[in-house]
Amino acid sequence: MMQTEARAAAVAPAPAPAPAAINMKVSLGAATAPTPASAASLPHVTGPFRTPERRIITKEDMDQFISSPIRAALVDFIFSCSDACRGLKISHPVVTSPVVTAVTTVLDELEKIADATPPEENPKTRFGNPSFRLFYDRVQKALPTLLEPVVRPREAVVEVAKYLEKSFGDRKRIDYGTGHEANFMAFLLTLYRLNLLTDTDKPAIVLRLFVRYLSLMRKVQFLYWLEPAGSHGVWGLDDYHSLPFLFGASQLVDHKYLRPKAIHDMDIVDMFAKEYLYLGCIQFINRVKTTASLRWHSPMLDDISGVKTWSKIESGMRKLYVVEVLGKLPIMQHFMFGAILPFENVSGRAVKDEDLEADDGHLHVYAMGQEFPVCCGMRLPSAIAARQREGQARVLPFD
Amino acid sequence: MGTSDLDRQIAQLRKCELIKESEVRELCNKAREILIEEANVQRVDAPVTICGDIHGQFYDLMELFSVGHDCPDTNYLFMGDFVDRGFYSVETFLLLLALKVRYPDRITLIRGNHESRQITQVYGFYDECLRKYGSVNVWRYCCEIFDYLALAALVDDRILCVHGGLSPSITTLDQIRTIDRKQEVPHDGAMCDLLWSDPEEIDGWGVSPRGAGYLFGGDVVAAFLHANNLELIARAHQLVMEGYKHMFKDTVVTVWSAPNYCYRCGNVAAILELDDKLNRNFVIFHPASQDARGIPAKKATPDYFL
Repeated sequence: MMQTEARAAAVAPAPAPAPAAINMKVSLGAATAPTPASAASLPHVTGPFRTPERRIITKEDMDQFISSPIRAALVDFIFSCSDACRGLKISHPVVTSPVVTAVTTVLDELEKIADATPPEENPKTRFGNPSFRLFYDRVQKALPTLLEPVVRPREAVVEVAKYLEKSFGDRKRIDYGTGHEANFMAFLLTLYRLNLLTDTDKPAIVLRLFVRYLSLMRKVQFLYWLEPAGSHGVWGLDDYHSLPFLFGASQLVDHKYLRPKAIHDMDIVDMFAKEYLYLGCIQFINRVKTTASLRWHSPMLDDISGVKTWSKIESGMRKLYVVEVLGKLPIMQHFMFGAILPFENVSGRAVKDEDLEADDGHLHVYAMGQEFPVCCGMRLPSAIAARQREGQARVLPFD
Repeated sequence: MGTSDLDRQIAQLRKCELIKESEVRELCNKAREILIEEANVQRVDAPVTICGDIHGQFYDLMELFSVGHDCPDTNYLFMGDFVDRGFYSVETFLLLLALKVRYPDRITLIRGNHESRQITQVYGFYDECLRKYGSVNVWRYCCEIFDYLALAALVDDRILCVHGGLSPSITTLDQIRTIDRKQEVPHDGAMCDLLWSDPEEIDGWGVSPRGAGYLFGGDVVAAFLHANNLELIARAHQLVMEGYKHMFKDTVVTVWSAPNYCYRCGNVAAILELDDKLNRNFVIFHPASQDARGIPAKKATPDYFL
């Protein structure tokens, strides 16, 4: 339907009125859904537990997702975590339950895997280091065992592990973006929905678990040269992350003397980077993007620094996250659902990981009844094998 | 619009200054007349310099013209992805379009996957047009032009240039010629594949992690080159640390022309110079120095934060 509208707009001799184009943008999945369901309408978690699958396949699925209880639950969870760290430094003493400690231990073990999986020397790849795939596979293999002491009921591990696995980036493309970051929150949400994490854990969820994940992620990004997945370049907040700015702004609300424009003062940034996520991000970005000033490489952050209060920034970050991450099809089409994070889509279709990530990416080729048609000693590719794929659910294109 | 008007607009755009919305409309009208005559597989004569993704990095495009020499003194072929992500998608695309109108036989523009209404609404070009012109008209005019861009180019009948790669639905160049290209980039099918596929160290075809197009291996390339009497496929679409990268015994080359992508990736960029005998010379270039760039205008606070 989208395509016909676009074609009609292209062929029309007279310019269509501007609102039509703006509606086109909005209909891409921005947050203008009717009557969103509330998180409270989500049923309690019951099995059977199974490996999560992608269910946001079509545009209608995306619209359905936007007004779904599971999206409301994810938004509630993230926003309430942000509330929980309001005005708190990273080192602020917080309740750390056994589950929080156990998850920290899991992240520590995953860091050891990274340390034991150095990047390949002289990789001959075009950008990302192929050792990332080795790291990914080792993480995937280790997670069920690492999560076994944490997750109850035990059968739920197969679902919980998938979200944590997906938090580190795309195995095939060797890239990372806000969709992967969202998977980490989804992982925490599964523990919350299983009552393993509770409301009293929320300050620790941000100040211990998310902080720990962020530092591990920065190491992995650097170690393997992860490409910024679907970066909006200068038209986005950051190449990789969104939540450190949301949680980070919340931390700084009502701070006695640190104002938003403080991000331009390098001494202040360096002094407080360890205690405040937002300033930690600024410090990190400045260390990586050395060829130009903030105004050049991160104009959005530069512009935001002109806002008067952190409270306004935090509420702006909430709106931004809902629209730009949870509301964008190129990101959410990769999101997975199961028994713990349930979603009944409109299209009725689902895509498993195995459909997208065959061992060697190989599709068996057939042409004209011959298994391996040959011309001058070379095997010919076939459109037929490709067409066999077409009956199955395909995710929509993104970049 | 006379030649002197066009020259004035080109001079303005070269200084990274915008032309008026009414001038954009006229420029696009003129460009359409030229592009509508071009084939899906546009024939190009060597010598020619082949370039990859630019992504709105205007000052780095200036650097490209500096190392490759200006158009029309050098013939150019740009393989798409002119817009999105960078600061100056508007100035970048309009300059290339103006050069096309002024010197139609000296510069060829083919379509990338970012020359699309859907993609530009997510990755920056739409927002940039809205900010710089206060309306979406310029975006709409440009998107109409995108629909007319050729899908591929053929240099001296020997080198195929395409933004992404091959399609399992396409075994001959003639099949590309039968596509109706004057439409928004489809979600699948031959036209989509040409703009979205990637080469990969596999046999045969693979499912693409991008969600569009396919992965294709060396055997696919060998068969395609053989069937169409070609020696090379030049393409872009993927970031390359070293600016360019060969695959499959130099039968595929990826050319990437956006240095220090996103100010972070630290990559160099490249262009591929072909002489009249189709000898290949790769020229590497670095990002333009900071003082060569103007200062970006301070923008209004993003809507979320008002």
